[in-house]
Amino acid sequence: MTDASPRIHRQELARTFVSSLTDQLVVSGIGNACNDVYAAGDRALNFYMRGSMGAGVPIAFGLARARPNDYVICVEGDGSVLMNLGALATVGSYAPQNLAIVILDNGAYQITGGQPTHTAGAVDLAHVARGCGIVSSSTAGTLDEFTSTLDKILDAPGPHVLVARVDRNLSDPKAHQPRRPALIKYRFMGRLGTLEDVNRLAWE
Amino acid sequence: MAWSDIVLDCFKANAIQTLVHIPDTVLTEMIRTAGTDPYFDVLSPTREEEGVGILCGAYLGGRNGALLMQNSGLGNAANILGSLAVPYQIPMLMVISQRGELGEFNTVQVGMGQALRPTLDGLDIQHFTLEREDEVAKIVTGAIKLAFSTDRPVAVIVSPLLSGGKSL
Repeated sequence: MTDASPRIHRQELARTFVSSLTDQLVVSGIGNACNDVYAAGDRALNFYMRGSMGAGVPIAFGLARARPNDYVICVEGDGSVLMNLGALATVGSYAPQNLAIVILDNGAYQITGGQPTHTAGAVDLAHVARGCGIVSSSTAGTLDEFTSTLDKILDAPGPHVLVARVDRNLSDPKAHQPRRPALIKYRFMGRLGTLEDVNRLAWE
Repeated sequence: MAWSDIVLDCFKANAIQTLVHIPDTVLTEMIRTAGTDPYFDVLSPTREEEGVGILCGAYLGGRNGALLMQNSGLGNAANILGSLAVPYQIPMLMVISQRGELGEFNTVQVGMGQALRPTLDGLDIQHFTLEREDEVAKIVTGAIKLAFSTDRPVAVIVSPLLSGGKSL
């Protein structure tokens, strides 16, 4: 695909994505991924990153590993995935069945001024993921394609990568996820019931 | 008992189950032994920063873990420690093998070896050094308790005085 190929309205995609969720655990990456997922409907089972660009996939992988009976979805931007491509190799190698990675690919570091990323040029992240052993990797250029692929993914063993070619529409400036990291952690773990686990697992 | 087996016993006694490791000669034996023990979930990421992310995710999912790496890896992981583990109050134990000091033969290991403790200090991460075998259990157990009761990453540094370092 070229940079001129069709792109999906990002906030519309985020609303469609969030409305299709049931009890999945969502790790959403720094920047517009977080902003749009939050604005589309906040939920306690969303873990929002406030920094650590590139860490969304590793966090989601570790979570999937610890919670084999829960389904984990990572929502990341293309810039973040590019920063830590090795994480796709790890996911492909361990092949967690309960992990899907949704990449919001707008071909730009939009939040820092719209500098182009390499996906605006030569790089195709679905191909990269496939080369890392993530067989179920695809790209959606329309909302219909995204929705039908997401429906299939949520019913099928992973790992999956779904690259959504999104536009560069700005996020709602008022739509900011909770700012206090510790609250994000405690809310997520409290809802998941894992605060008890780490307490029980400790030496006490 | 070898020092590396003592460390693994401390992990088991304190419910440290997820072990993420980046290749390191000094830690080879510990990584090998852990891999044969079904108690541990032993994972090998491509980079230390990725390892910290995996451990944070595992903790959110209810599992305590440790990162095994050499001191060069702390340079790769500094940002994610400062921007994820510390502010989100996510504990983990880091076992870091020390290069670049007593007995070092490789010039390029000295820089990060010297920067190890100042980097940890700058991130407000406490660190303790293992030099003697008879202190290993006490220091590792204490570091685990500190990390997982105060919800912070804590580092244990393996001195070449204990490990013998990496020889020519």
